Amino acid sequence: MAFWNQIGNRLAYLFRRSRFDRELEDEVQFHIQARADELEQAGLPGAAALLQARREFGSTLRSREETRSVWQVRWLEDLGADLRYAARALRRNPALTLAAVGSLALGIGANTTIFSVAREALFSEPSCRDPKSLIQISVGGDTWVPMSQYRFLEESHTFDGLAGMNIQMVVNWRDGNRSYRLAGTHVTENFFEVAGIPVAMGRPIERGETDAAVVTYGFWRKRLNGDPNVVGRKLVLDGKPYAVVGVLPRDHRMLAGFGFTPDLYLTKDPGEVMLYARLPRGMTRQAAYARLKPVCRELDRVYPDVNRKWTQEVRLTAVGGLERLQQEGGPVAMPALAFFAMLVIVTAIVMLIACANVSNLLLARAFTRSREFAIRMSLGGSRGRLVRQLLAESLLLALLGTGAGLLLNLWLTRLLSGLHIPTPLPIELIIQPDRMLLAYSVIIAFVITLATGLAPALRGTRAGIGGALKEGGQTGPAGGALRNALVIGQLAVSIVLLSAGLLFIRNLIQATSFNAGFDTAHTVEATVQGPSDPREFVGAALERLRALPGVEAASPASAVPLNPFLAFGRPSPLRPDAGSRPVRVQYNFNAVGPDYFRIMGIPLLQGRAFADSDRAGAPEVVILNQNLARRLFGNANPVGHILRFPDNRDARVVGIARNSKYVTLGEENAMALYSPFFQQPVRGYAHFFVRAGGEPETMARKVDETLAEMDPSAAVETRATRDIFSGALMPSRVGAGILGSMALFGLLLASVGLYGVLLYAIQQRTREIGIRVALGATPGDVLAMVAGQSLRLVAVGLVIGLALAVVAVRPLSMFLVPEVRPADPMNFALVACVLAAVAALATLAPTSRALRVDPAVALRHE
Amino acid sequence: MDSNPIPELLPGTLYLLILRTLSHGPLHGYAIVKRIKDASREGLRIEDGSLYPALNRMLVKGWLASEWGVSENNRKARFYRLTPEGRKQLDKEAGEFDRLVRAIQLVMGAA
Repeated sequence: MAFWNQIGNRLAYLFRRSRFDRELEDEVQFHIQARADELEQAGLPGAAALLQARREFGSTLRSREETRSVWQVRWLEDLGADLRYAARALRRNPALTLAAVGSLALGIGANTTIFSVAREALFSEPSCRDPKSLIQISVGGDTWVPMSQYRFLEESHTFDGLAGMNIQMVVNWRDGNRSYRLAGTHVTENFFEVAGIPVAMGRPIERGETDAAVVTYGFWRKRLNGDPNVVGRKLVLDGKPYAVVGVLPRDHRMLAGFGFTPDLYLTKDPGEVMLYARLPRGMTRQAAYARLKPVCRELDRVYPDVNRKWTQEVRLTAVGGLERLQQEGGPVAMPALAFFAMLVIVTAIVMLIACANVSNLLLARAFTRSREFAIRMSLGGSRGRLVRQLLAESLLLALLGTGAGLLLNLWLTRLLSGLHIPTPLPIELIIQPDRMLLAYSVIIAFVITLATGLAPALRGTRAGIGGALKEGGQTGPAGGALRNALVIGQLAVSIVLLSAGLLFIRNLIQATSFNAGFDTAHTVEATVQGPSDPREFVGAALERLRALPGVEAASPASAVPLNPFLAFGRPSPLRPDAGSRPVRVQYNFNAVGPDYFRIMGIPLLQGRAFADSDRAGAPEVVILNQNLARRLFGNANPVGHILRFPDNRDARVVGIARNSKYVTLGEENAMALYSPFFQQPVRGYAHFFVRAGGEPETMARKVDETLAEMDPSAAVETRATRDIFSGALMPSRVGAGILGSMALFGLLLASVGLYGVLLYAIQQRTREIGIRVALGATPGDVLAMVAGQSLRLVAVGLVIGLALAVVAVRPLSMFLVPEVRPADPMNFALVACVLAAVAALATLAPTSRALRVDPAVALRHE
Repeated sequence: MDSNPIPELLPGTLYLLILRTLSHGPLHGYAIVKRIKDASREGLRIEDGSLYPALNRMLVKGWLASEWGVSENNRKARFYRLTPEGRKQLDKEAGEFDRLVRAIQLVMGAA
């Protein structure tokens, strides 16, 4: 306590230093005057009294100095002085300062931005009351349970509330004479109460309420035009009016995490829900687990399920942080986490290269100043003091770099925050600077200070008094080894970066030119959501579409390929030839019309396509892709064989379709099964594929109008099929964009480093070169000397870098399409060529400078 | 100049003397010196040069507070006064000092 008071007193002193000095002066004068007055009263004449008093007091200067030092916090004032000195030094050298701060800022900006995005996307806390006591429950190894099971669990009152949410729902919003598809999250009536989700306007949905909706901020702003009287307004959703009761705040973060942002929440039976429970106060998750287990046993008794036991794999997991990643989102989130981890490493490497550059620059400066240091040391300055002063310079650079980097971070994250990623459940990130970011940046600044400043400071002041004071003490190769090592390190690391970047760029090229196994150039895809009678609608729509001029064929489909969220299949046991041995396979499923294969350009290798006669009521038929056929029937020709489904339906295999891509471009050996569209239950939505001559964009408009006027309550979305690719290509684009630019940036920094080292070496050796030329060295000899140094550095860097890269890029295969192999020697050869070319460019200027050395001038120089 | 030498202060006693002197009320620097000189019948004299560092050290520790006022002959002067913290310190140090002096006297008497 007393200690802190002292610190406080001292700090207060710092701010009134000049006044303090004035007052102390006054006080001392008063003291002397008072003594003089007294002596005068005792009989001394005025002038003698004053003299006597002064003598008695002694040195006022010493007294004042001592008094002042009582207050001073030495290191703090020294630091202030060092920083002021450093600022002057940096201002005198604007090119160096700008280069150093700029490269640090770019490195830090990139690194912290990835940090911010990863933190928001993966680890953010959801918007709800006390997230620590809110848990997500999965039973029977599944995070989704049917509504009847949910009700059973809810009525068991095991927790302080159990609510359900279904994020995968789509609702139709009828607005005027058109309908729109919205991402509507269906929730149970008690959801807002149990989760405690704050609203910005109006109120949350309350228990017992039906036909109520809470809209998100973005939907309210963009789609409802920020209507201030929105509360109470009716929205027609799936043909039924819902009352808007509240608007969510702008920074609402959904329980599901990952930046998923629906348009609205509404009370509607979702069929299946994810379970969220509120733990009673003080109850641990273990205790909750023990309570839940017997309820699940009861659930097994009431709702027996042949495929699973509810008591198995009962899990309670947190709704935020790392734990959420490990659970349901696992298959999606783990690659994302790995990707972010890789980006953080890559940007950290770029930052290291930038640090090496700054360190090199400072090292060069430290050596040109070694005379100054030697003089100061010989005058009694301590080495520690000099080191501190040099560190203050790198601290200032690091602070400026970090500050500029943070500005870059703010700009980039604001840009990213505005992004709307049109997945079925749209992703919008709300990235705001926070304390974690600040802490992270402070750590970075600190590390950079030490990384860039320590070596130059120690080396620069080591020369001692004798060595550096000698005339020409600057000519030796002082620090050359360290500088060379730094450059070699930069080159090596940038090879690793280049290798990774090149892989991602090749991945993008491969993915773009990649044959997905179907033709997308001349087709249009339309999605129709919520027609009043879907089966009838599909039949009528097909007739209308086929009648459109320019349309060659049209087909319905239950799924759109390369649409990861709609085409997932769960593993299920299929019995070939209705035998007793089921084969458990995970396959993609699509119910399609007869023309689907022709429209998509997927050839049938054996058997036939579907026909109009494969309608409801007719014997069931299926078409397999090659992978699934081989998995189920081996090398035998499967056409004509019977396949039995888990629900004991039998279907005859009528054809084999060529393999294509189904969910992602990177998938391998994916299996697929097709059924005739009208032999499957028709859900509330359907997709149409239309093949047309001419531009698909023009056709898309016509298709859209045709479908929209058929049923105004149905939401229609139409696009050229090739646009599907833009979504599927996004990960490759992002990867190639980020890694490619990072690699280029790293290469640029490394080549600047190489250039700097060579140039500096030539400056140091100007006299030597002059002597050599004077003694008869030819330009060829000089060239060999300079280029030789460059070559040695580049060669060593290349060898080390390639060795590192071979190991480092291996794990990247998880992000790449199978056709791009990380171990491909072509990659490394190309990288080596690029690096060699850039190194040659960086050597050019220093070499020409060396060739221009005039012996007469160089020798006179000293 | 004084002919008979003034005894050196025991270390730390300067604080005690200042605290004690100020316990009657606020004084300015010169008055503190004079008060101690008078009270000790010229037996103790504070070096003018060491007074102000000591006072400031006590300000930093929070034992004293200071403010500007007007001296008896109408000059602007800085007055020092005890803080509650300083009064506590005085009680503590006075007790310790008493014990020390008594112990020294015992040793001296026994010899």
